[in-house]
Amino acid sequence: MKIASELSLQEKLHILADGAKYDVACTSSGADRRGRKGCLGNAVAAGICHSFASDGRCISLLKILLTNHCIYDCKYCINRCTNDIARAAFTPREVCELTTEFYRRNYIEGLFLSSGVWNSPAFTMERLCETLYLLRNVYHFNGYIHVKAIPGAPDELLAAAGYLADRMSINLELPTGESMKKLAPNKNHNMILRPMRMMADTIAQHRLAAGKSAQMERSRSNRYLTGSIFSKERLEQTGRVAGNTQPAKTQGTKTYALQKMGKTEWKQPFVPAGQSTQMIIGATPETDYHLLRTTQYLYQNYDLKRVFYSAYVPLNEDGALPAPDTPVPLLREHRLYQADWLLRFYGFSADELLSEQRPNFNEELDPKCDWALRHLERFPVEVNTAQYETLLRVPGVGPKSALRIVQSRRYGKLDFAHLKRMGVVLKRAHYFLTCDGKMM
Amino acid sequence: MTVFTCKDSFEAMMTCIYAAWASGIGHDDVRLQLEPVFQRELFCTYVHVEADVQKTEKVVSAIQKKISYEAYRQVFLASVSCGEDRLDAIYRFLVLGFSVGAKLTGMLFRPEVMWVLELSRKAANEANFFREFTRFALADGIYVAHIEPKCNIVAVTAEHFADRMPSARWMIIDDQRRIAAVHPADCPFYMTELSGEELRRLKETEAEKDAYTGLWIEFFQTTGIEARKNPGCQRNHMPLWYRRHMTEFLV
Ligand code: SF4
Repeated sequence: MKIASELSLQEKLHILADGAKYDVACTSSGADRRGRKGCLGNAVAAGICHSFASDGRCISLLKILLTNHCIYDCKYCINRCTNDIARAAFTPREVCELTTEFYRRNYIEGLFLSSGVWNSPAFTMERLCETLYLLRNVYHFNGYIHVKAIPGAPDELLAAAGYLADRMSINLELPTGESMKKLAPNKNHNMILRPMRMMADTIAQHRLAAGKSAQMERSRSNRYLTGSIFSKERLEQTGRVAGNTQPAKTQGTKTYALQKMGKTEWKQPFVPAGQSTQMIIGATPETDYHLLRTTQYLYQNYDLKRVFYSAYVPLNEDGALPAPDTPVPLLREHRLYQADWLLRFYGFSADELLSEQRPNFNEELDPKCDWALRHLERFPVEVNTAQYETLLRVPGVGPKSALRIVQSRRYGKLDFAHLKRMGVVLKRAHYFLTCDGKMM
Repeated sequence: MTVFTCKDSFEAMMTCIYAAWASGIGHDDVRLQLEPVFQRELFCTYVHVEADVQKTEKVVSAIQKKISYEAYRQVFLASVSCGEDRLDAIYRFLVLGFSVGAKLTGMLFRPEVMWVLELSRKAANEANFFREFTRFALADGIYVAHIEPKCNIVAVTAEHFADRMPSARWMIIDDQRRIAAVHPADCPFYMTELSGEELRRLKETEAEKDAYTGLWIEFFQTTGIEARKNPGCQRNHMPLWYRRHMTEFLV
């Protein structure tokens, strides 16, 4: 094996892109920033995809590890210290040059920088910060940056990263303490949830200082949905307060703003695209119900912008893991994403979709159809009069088509041909709709 | 039937609309058509209209004031889209718009409205595609991109890059229409037509490979997860047609 210093940039890129690809977060969304003279880059709220890899997943960011050296031994991870694999590390300048040169050629929308735990969490986080500092201030990069928060890193370093990045994420990976003990023996939930809480509170305070609401922006559709998990009433039930008030602080937590910073720094953007996390699907026995409830809990209590699911890909042989030939649970992952969508855009909550008695999604039906078939008493709904909220529950109707229906029916009666042109998928929807009292 | 015809440019189309309207012939007895007109119909009078800046401004400001900004946005995008009958579609849309005002774009049950909405969506979607898939190659200190969009959206695409790379020198070339958006460092971009010879020379930039081309291909090939391989899904997201000028698919 070559020693690290002999590796070419291309060999390093191979090793460090290979080690980063199992993190599924790929979006470049949530930040909106105009370009600036003398700088390179801007950010577009909806995010931009730049290519699609052979597995069909979108490539938006240059997703790499700073290093795959790691002192920890998470069983499922290719980079764990007990694996005998080629190791490498980028210098901060190499990361900056790759990012800016790729960006200028429009290969990518920005950087996703993760890392193994190199020497110590503090050492690693410091190298990450150094890299981002260089990228922003010397290379004048104004595009999107997503950076990992390393569990166990000092608060000041996490805060420093928060002023440089658009999004930060710290992966929960396993939703229960037992699973975590078994598969990630060097970590525990507290090491993940504590920084997540502090990031959440710090983000909220910066948002308030900038004259925004404490809570992250959500899809526009949520404004018209009374039962949405982000509605004021629902958030109040969780003890987190919505709207223009101070974020509720859990006892004993503080926020990250650096001590030495004056008042004005509160106005600086701090993780403007919010936090995200990911959970591994299928390495441990949790049910879909458990995963979806955890997702909802994270949205409501930590104001996470996204929760990602990563179907478990067997990389290591280990008694604690599923057998190496276990198929990748792609369909299960897909169903969870569909359900996540229903939470974020359609006003559903986890308990409407699953329960202790029905803890897993139907393989054959998507969660929305499945829900509709269990609630036939609510259908059909009349297109020309039904509330936005009710229309959104119809299989085949999405937030856009529902909005178009509500807007255009003010000026005249709608029929099925109109619906089709508005983007309603009639193949599914027609069982659940009437137009002027008539079925299709 | 009187047929008003004009060249394929936004100004010409707006002037043509102005002329058809001002002719007083009546909306049912006029048709608007883009040139070149290959097959003239019998019993029709053909009137060619030249682009006129003042008339264009009049039409634009009337749309914005008497209908809405959204209607103007849709008209503009429809004008650069690729339906053959798009000029007449815009005319019908505006005839309705000047009688109903701001609620025009909400009236999706009217075919005129849906038609222009669909055309504008087609152009907007394609412009979005090229925000994603345009690839620049470095040639003599200039980042050069070649695209072949179906709609005439090179200027719309260039707007996006002008905000993103304000201090870089770059150009985006529409190989089919032989036009280019040229962006000098720290200046606004401008549109220009290219001669056959210029285009041929610029085409060579695409074959140009620098260190980062290879690194990008390395990254692109590494980042896919073998156990999740799914070429069908990849193709759905990225039709083969769009891949023609994409670095990672040129190998
Ligand atoms: S900390 Fe765990 S998951 Fe992260 S790189 Fe190290 S072994 Fe892998």
